[in-house]
Amino acid sequence: MLGEAEERKSWGYKEMTDIVMECKNLWKTYEQHLIAVKDVSLQIGEGDIKLIFGPSGSGKSTFLRCLAMLTPPDRGDILLRGECLTKAGTDLNKARTRIGFVFQQIYLFRHLTALGNVELALRRVLKLPKEEAEKRALEALEEVKMQEWSHHYPSQLSGGQQQRVGIARALARNPDIILLDEPTSALDPELTGEVIDTLRDLAKKGTTMLIVSHEMPFAREVADEMIFFDEGSIIETGPPEQFFTNPKSERAKKFMARLIKRTKRE
Amino acid sequence: MDYIIEYLPLIFDGFILTVGVSLFGIFAGLALGIILALGDSYGGRIISTLIRVYVEFFRGSPIIIQLFVFLYVIPTLLNFRIDPLIVGFSIFALNSAAYQKGYIKGAMDAVFEDQMTAGLSIGMSKPQIIFYVILPQALRIVIPAWSNEYCSLTKSTPALLVIGVRDLTAAATTIIGQTYRVLETYVFIAMIYLAWITVITKIMDIVYEKKRIPGIEISA
Repeated sequence: MLGEAEERKSWGYKEMTDIVMECKNLWKTYEQHLIAVKDVSLQIGEGDIKLIFGPSGSGKSTFLRCLAMLTPPDRGDILLRGECLTKAGTDLNKARTRIGFVFQQIYLFRHLTALGNVELALRRVLKLPKEEAEKRALEALEEVKMQEWSHHYPSQLSGGQQQRVGIARALARNPDIILLDEPTSALDPELTGEVIDTLRDLAKKGTTMLIVSHEMPFAREVADEMIFFDEGSIIETGPPEQFFTNPKSERAKKFMARLIKRTKRE
Repeated sequence: MDYIIEYLPLIFDGFILTVGVSLFGIFAGLALGIILALGDSYGGRIISTLIRVYVEFFRGSPIIIQLFVFLYVIPTLLNFRIDPLIVGFSIFALNSAAYQKGYIKGAMDAVFEDQMTAGLSIGMSKPQIIFYVILPQALRIVIPAWSNEYCSLTKSTPALLVIGVRDLTAAATTIIGQTYRVLETYVFIAMIYLAWITVITKIMDIVYEKKRIPGIEISA
């Protein structure tokens, strides 16, 4: 499977049926004047790992929330496996079961254990019987190496552990795609490693992911494509090497220089 | 204190009434309070305004006047009769609901924002999120306030005398009227209140401890 995907990528070739998620000319404005997302179009193929980065306040998070229809866009279309989510009358709850979302601030359900957090959607949305839901939830927790902590409440877990549960919660439904909004940036530096390791495992399994992140070594290692975002628009896209060696746009060049300098200091 | 023995049946009746009205008030008030809190949050502008008027009426007027209005004024105007006991029980429930709505809504608002977003992100509907995520957290936060509310209800039942319903304090008044033993009667009755409220408060503490989830608690 992986080999095949790898091969396809090397040809730079993608069939239409491969497209998992797509957005066309997406706009989102806050309070009439603050444009958060400006005419963004993007395609994500099966097994793709795309990484969005750019200055804070550039609309990355809003863009991701638009894609999951957590913040509906003002204009433009979002297609999930060819099905339009922005059309009036779309069952958004149903659509969201097929989109995993991982939050920067984690947002676990505070009254439920790790297992309860992962299980909730399986029980109440997919309506699986209790035993099957539990089995699948434990499998998802195992994927993030949290099965031993399944009966702990969020407040009893470290930030990194909480975020791994957050990832398991997004994974458990076998969504078509997982959107991750800066999954490590609310964590203490020493805790980011375990979350990055988890994401690396997912990448190896061919999970389709769109990640907002500034973890540059990780990006270089796993991303098929990097997307530089600034002032609500995509400024430049390309393979990681392009950004690390010779970004085309002036803004990306400056931003990369700053990032690399910071990474070295750390 | 021997004279008290003679009056024990009277005291017992009063005690049962106080306990009955306050327990009914707290539980019915909770059910109604949840409905009012949900209506205020999600019912739209008109329903929310009506609920606020309701809350202001019951919080803003003396319970004695409420009892009077519901037993005499409204039935007279609309030409029907109603049992004072029914009015007593109902007014206590309606009154407590007005207060409990405030506690519950406050707690719901406190947990709402991120938990709603998280719930939507996994595909749950809004009603599902309220039922499975928001309320279980909010009600846990409310338990200590609930304990307070119960104490205050228990000690409000003397107001029922205005509609001729006699509670524990009314029993004391009767005894004093017949025996002229003011101090010892009041002390005895006060001990009953104290014992009962202590028992209930302890039970609520146990419930709170049992239902407590690390990370969801108020710093009381």
